[in-house]
Amino acid sequence: MEHKHSEKKMNVRLKIWRQEGPKTPGKFEEFSLSDILTDMSFLEMLDVLNEKLIHEGKRPVEYESDCREGICGTCSLMISGQAHGPNRGATTCQLYMRSFDNNELITIEPWRAKSFPVIRDLVTDRSSFDRIISAGGYVSVKTGPHADANAILVAKDLSDRAMDAAACIGCGACVAACPNASASLFTSAKITQFALLPQGHPERSRRAIRMVDQMDKEGFGSCSNLQECEAACPKKISIQNITIMKQEYLKAAIAADFRAGMGSADGGA
Amino acid sequence: MVPFKRLFSSSLGRKYLMGASGLALVLFILVHLLGNLTFYSHNGDATNAYSAKLHSLGLLLVVAEWGLFAVIILHIYMAFQVTYRSKVARPIGYDSLKSKGGPTKSNVTTRNMIYTGIVLLVFLIIHLKQFRFGPDLEDGYTATVNGVMVDDVYRVGVETFQNVGWVAFYVFSMFFLGFHFRHGFWSMFQSLGALNPRWSKPIHAMGLIIAILMAVGFLGIPIYLHVTQGGVQ
Amino acid sequence: MSDETIKTTTGGLNSGVPGGPLAQKWDNYKANMKLVNPANKRKYSVIVVGTGLAGGAAAASLAELGYNVKAFCVQDSARRAHSIAAQGGINAAKSYPNDGDSVWRLFYDTIKGGDYRAREGNVYRLAQNSTAIIDQCVAQGIPFAREYSGELANRSFGGAQVSRTFYARGQTGQQLLLGAYSALMKEVDKGKVELYTYHEMLDVVMVDGKCRGIITRDLKTGKIERHAADVVILGTGGYGRIYFLSTNAMNSNTTAIWRAHKKGALFGNPCYVQIHPTCIPVSGSHQAKLTLMSESLRNDGRVWVPKKKEDCTKDPKSIAEADRDYFLERKYPSFGNLVPRDVASRNAKEMCDEGRGVGETGRAVYLDFKDVIKRDGKAAVEERYGNLFDMYHEITNENPYEVPMRIYPAVHYTMGGLWVDYSLMTTLPGLFCSGEANFSDHGANRLGASALMQGLSDGYFVLPYTVTNYLGTHSQELLKKVETSHPEFEKAEKEVRAGIDGLLERGKAGKRTPTEIYRDLGLVMWEYVGMARTEAGLKTAIQKIKELQNDFDTNLKLTGDDQFNKNLESAGRLGDFLELGALMAQDALARTESCGGHFRVESQTPEGEAKRDDEHFAYVAAWEYKGKNNSAVLHKEQLIFENVKPSVRSYK
Repeated sequence: MEHKHSEKKMNVRLKIWRQEGPKTPGKFEEFSLSDILTDMSFLEMLDVLNEKLIHEGKRPVEYESDCREGICGTCSLMISGQAHGPNRGATTCQLYMRSFDNNELITIEPWRAKSFPVIRDLVTDRSSFDRIISAGGYVSVKTGPHADANAILVAKDLSDRAMDAAACIGCGACVAACPNASASLFTSAKITQFALLPQGHPERSRRAIRMVDQMDKEGFGSCSNLQECEAACPKKISIQNITIMKQEYLKAAIAADFRAGMGSADGGA
Repeated sequence: MVPFKRLFSSSLGRKYLMGASGLALVLFILVHLLGNLTFYSHNGDATNAYSAKLHSLGLLLVVAEWGLFAVIILHIYMAFQVTYRSKVARPIGYDSLKSKGGPTKSNVTTRNMIYTGIVLLVFLIIHLKQFRFGPDLEDGYTATVNGVMVDDVYRVGVETFQNVGWVAFYVFSMFFLGFHFRHGFWSMFQSLGALNPRWSKPIHAMGLIIAILMAVGFLGIPIYLHVTQGGVQ
Repeated sequence: MSDETIKTTTGGLNSGVPGGPLAQKWDNYKANMKLVNPANKRKYSVIVVGTGLAGGAAAASLAELGYNVKAFCVQDSARRAHSIAAQGGINAAKSYPNDGDSVWRLFYDTIKGGDYRAREGNVYRLAQNSTAIIDQCVAQGIPFAREYSGELANRSFGGAQVSRTFYARGQTGQQLLLGAYSALMKEVDKGKVELYTYHEMLDVVMVDGKCRGIITRDLKTGKIERHAADVVILGTGGYGRIYFLSTNAMNSNTTAIWRAHKKGALFGNPCYVQIHPTCIPVSGSHQAKLTLMSESLRNDGRVWVPKKKEDCTKDPKSIAEADRDYFLERKYPSFGNLVPRDVASRNAKEMCDEGRGVGETGRAVYLDFKDVIKRDGKAAVEERYGNLFDMYHEITNENPYEVPMRIYPAVHYTMGGLWVDYSLMTTLPGLFCSGEANFSDHGANRLGASALMQGLSDGYFVLPYTVTNYLGTHSQELLKKVETSHPEFEKAEKEVRAGIDGLLERGKAGKRTPTEIYRDLGLVMWEYVGMARTEAGLKTAIQKIKELQNDFDTNLKLTGDDQFNKNLESAGRLGDFLELGALMAQDALARTESCGGHFRVESQTPEGEAKRDDEHFAYVAAWEYKGKNNSAVLHKEQLIFENVKPSVRSYK
């Protein structure tokens, strides 16, 4: 954790992306604020700006946040070129003004990707992630009685690794930070969670193929193994998940071909 | 249904092919370097003997060359595909994009594999023109190895590297080979899904070592020939 | 048996709890309910508003049964519902640790924890369903914590003496929500669920006495839409954000249930609010949100304040052991730091009122991990609470491995909500309400790790039965479809449109932003309708809320248009919060006893504990809306205890 600023108050200069709607072109607009408390969160600083704008009769800067404790994955700002700002393992809402210098110029942009179109200002539409999950990010059990929970034993280390992958909050920082706008980390985290757990095994081939195909269909870029997604991920999700996704997909793609030959219907194959 | 269609049509498939073709190229370049170490001997006999041995393979050599050509074409095609799709995936770029450090492997060279690759492609064309399709027996470049008349590849090398310009071009290109290799070596394992956390770091480190050995091994040849054979006419 | 016949009268309102012994009530219900055959299920449509545990689980389960489901949420994705923020765990009477747990004991702990203000039948069903929830979640691939044996791990939680809490690190809510979300997305893929994200429900539509649809606003485009169905379920969460500062998410609101209330649904126990003891204290007036530190921290952390006032400003590490007052351990030797939330919160407040609070504002107590670090080592503590410690460090700039945490209570959960009967149906036929949005299972105080249990019980294991029973009972009428061109839809849409336009119109002229009025409302609620309530204070609150309502009606400042506009959303929700605030104060004023989270200063024991008045107040207060300028009317559902005897709740 970095704490650059020790005084209580600071001035900030902001360069913020403004865009009326999905189809209108956007541009940067500059603002400055004085007497911002260093203990304020970054989003509270934006709240101060918005209150000021409303009083001036101007349209406030639209951005999103919800839980403000780093778990819901709603907040999503590119802050001076870094997804969720300078601190590792933290979301935008967990960023405090003490991480910035007095009078520092802070550039705020939306996540930029074709698959995350801008709705307004800093708000983007991330429904492409929902569609990737919808393609197979689940175990297809129905609600109802199941075997006793302890009838399924899972080795602690596998369960822990599955949890590491399941910690993904779906914020999209991986896509935003990737020079190629690839969604590999997001997609792989879900594939890996279920590849590691016995519950996920019956439909692992179908899942890998359908989720990767959906990811491609949404228009995300390719993974170039730069690991910048892991660096930007607020939950520090490892690219090891991408390795596992590649194994799962390769196995599934080959298996699908063989099964197709045997007349077996493999979803998506 | 096209067999293994997904290998060509999906983003992951393209990366498997990038990785696999990269692996083939790495193996080729390693063998090529081992052969080229003969240039470091005091005269051309070892080099020409090695060259003659290769030519004696006949049909096998033809197959290997065409195979290599196909692998290179595949590697290039996939590279352009991957790059193109990534550009399309972000139509509006950032005002600034800064790495967050930590585990990242993002830097100027890793982000620009396509450009280091293009330099290598240009190099490859020139290099093939100079050596593979350069002067041979018919042009009078002959040498005798064990009493048999063969191509004098060694002389081609010596003559080429009398020119400081060519020496500089080769040295420059080999730096790019090093950069390309540095990321490519580890990356090909990752693309093929062949890494686990325990191997990841050692392989990344190995990539650096091999990249340096390879670049230095190759770029030493023009310099060595220029320095030791520069005066011989 | 129709849903009319399974109701038994319990006072003024019909709770519909089936007859028979406690343990067989739910089985009796299921054995006698009406069914809908598979071919007919395809003819019914169900609207589910909210995609958290209670809404998402219901939407997925009903779609699996074959109903056509439309699911709505205000967030950009169904996965963002605030259930995601629950940290500590979910209770279930699995009794895996072999420590004496049972369905009965979970039932008993919950009834007692709720200070005998919940319905026996509902709570017993909740305890029964708890075990099936764990089986369901494990089958979905939720990575619960496990032992080396490969079996599930358990931990203890406040208000219980057994270890029955299942958890997934400090992210249990997230994992359970993602389970429900995945199930929902699976049905979206199959075409059985139509998902509407960025949609806010602004009214319910009643046709011929039955709820047949809703009016929504598309938050991206501003478009007002009509949606018709045969059943509407509200799983829209609690209203804790009425306090402005709370641990609830920024988008959490009361609008859906409040609009339904205004259409005629009774509102149960609005004054029951849970104040969570372990939150990071308020640091300044700029703050938008408070952060909860999981209650599980009280398993190992010890709560204390200095014995002497003059020590309060000193470095806590310099205060000798003898000069520390571990007040929870001192006052409640058998439960110690694990007393229920309301007790822990009230005691922290008391210490601060005595002048022994710590930190810059003097409104905080210490939560100290020194002893556990010494006993189990830093690594063990890091494994258990690492993410919570990091979060604390990030926010406060203090390292809790070195310095004790400072904590203070904050609003966290609302036990009150729309009144529902045993089938989770509100007083509006066809309108159901599940999870935190209803008033049902927690009485006057909720035990830790019970919210997730209730949300999932309602969504996975109650609504699929009770909704089916409703549809089966009223099939004749419901198979006649209502079109969205019906005059009732027309009328409702017009009103909603007028409301939005009105906000934007008067927003041009006023002076005060929604946030400014909202902050003031929060302060009034916290001061007068917070942890300690008095008659005079509650009357003051009603007066002050009236003034704020006037401000809102005549002096609101808004900019922007009706397309994506967070402040417009906030203004609309604030309007509903203002009306609800007045009702909360009215309810708190009427309930002159203390119970659970509702502490009336006038009603306490000599030791300062909450004093219940079972003779006069063993009822659910269900309020009927009578128009903006009229006082709400109180209906009572008498609570009948046949199986447990209400006693003085003691954790000593």
